Amino acid sequence: MNDAKNKDANNANQDTEHVFDIAEYKKVGFIQQKQKDYFAMRLHAVGGDFTAPQLMAIAEVAYTYGKGQVHLSTRQGVEIHYVHYSKLEAAQEKLAAVGITMGACGPRVRIVSACPGSSTCRWGTIDTKEMARYLDEKYFRSDTPHKFKMAVTGCPHNCAKASENDIGIMGGILPEWSSEDCIDCNLCVNACPTLAIHKEENKKESQYLLDEEKCINCSICTKNCPTDAWKEGRAGYIIWIGGTMGKKPRIATRLTGVIEDKEEVYRLVDRTIEYYRAHGRKKERFGHTIERIGEEKVRKEILYGTE
Amino acid sequence: MNNKKISKKVDLTGVRCPMNFVKTKLALEELEKEEFLEAVIDEGEALMNVPRSLKDEGHKIVAVDNNNNGTFTLLIEKGG
Repeated sequence: MNDAKNKDANNANQDTEHVFDIAEYKKVGFIQQKQKDYFAMRLHAVGGDFTAPQLMAIAEVAYTYGKGQVHLSTRQGVEIHYVHYSKLEAAQEKLAAVGITMGACGPRVRIVSACPGSSTCRWGTIDTKEMARYLDEKYFRSDTPHKFKMAVTGCPHNCAKASENDIGIMGGILPEWSSEDCIDCNLCVNACPTLAIHKEENKKESQYLLDEEKCINCSICTKNCPTDAWKEGRAGYIIWIGGTMGKKPRIATRLTGVIEDKEEVYRLVDRTIEYYRAHGRKKERFGHTIERIGEEKVRKEILYGTE
Repeated sequence: MNNKKISKKVDLTGVRCPMNFVKTKLALEELEKEEFLEAVIDEGEALMNVPRSLKDEGHKIVAVDNNNNGTFTLLIEKGG
């Protein structure tokens, strides 16, 4: 029987014959299949990024220790299926040699997913990968009442589905209008996806006003404005909390507007996770904790509370 | 709509992204700098993307009219 080696100091080595400590295995991303001698190896990833040499190594491990089958998960992870329990350790070592460690299953923080963000996408307002790396380094695999998923997305197009995660960080801007550059083309009024901009008619000069309640911080106005009369006033991070899929899906609650200070974002993420650890029940997703306690109460406690 | 002299008109209703932008760009190629093109596009994604693409190419939207029938009319000044 192979030991499940990992870097978690609390995990004891197992030494059983065909009896697996399933919970401990899940902790390090070994997931028992229906075929009880076989495991899916769930690999660690940050923002879904791998190098070509790493992918080649994954394919080779799948051939050598599995049945040549690789599965891409819905949160940008990779799994190697059909690995016999006797081969887990050797497979894990081959992966470690190319810098690939194991993922996580069970009641703990999962891998962080992220879109390309400002590194390559023209809409990306924030450096999603840097933030994903920070969150991963600080929280990955740490215990939570139920599974806990985080995503970082570069803008309100929401490609990394921030609003479906327990914590989602979304890049966004607050637009500002200046009259001196405006040529009254009316593009903004028509192009805004939530009709948050309207023209004030009853003045000598036209004015274009933003309804911040309707604004989704998407930057379509600023990027399309032909004269840059609409400019980015503030750019930063929006925090979403309590999104979940599964049996009872829930779209996340918006915790904040656009926050410019990254350290403030990290502080609120920490408060959110601590809040869930203090108030979430076993097997209760954070979104359902929020529903049970009350959205406004949870928001206030995280933003202004003293716990 | 403005009282600018329109050198060319294109009807791109029913034309999907990115062909609506491509055809607008091609139509603009036939104009001289600072001449005006009138293009009719569908509501929705087109209005959030075509103007930005034209801006990237150096052209300038000077007017947008909602035709209240699911289409918009753009008046575009050709850039350099």
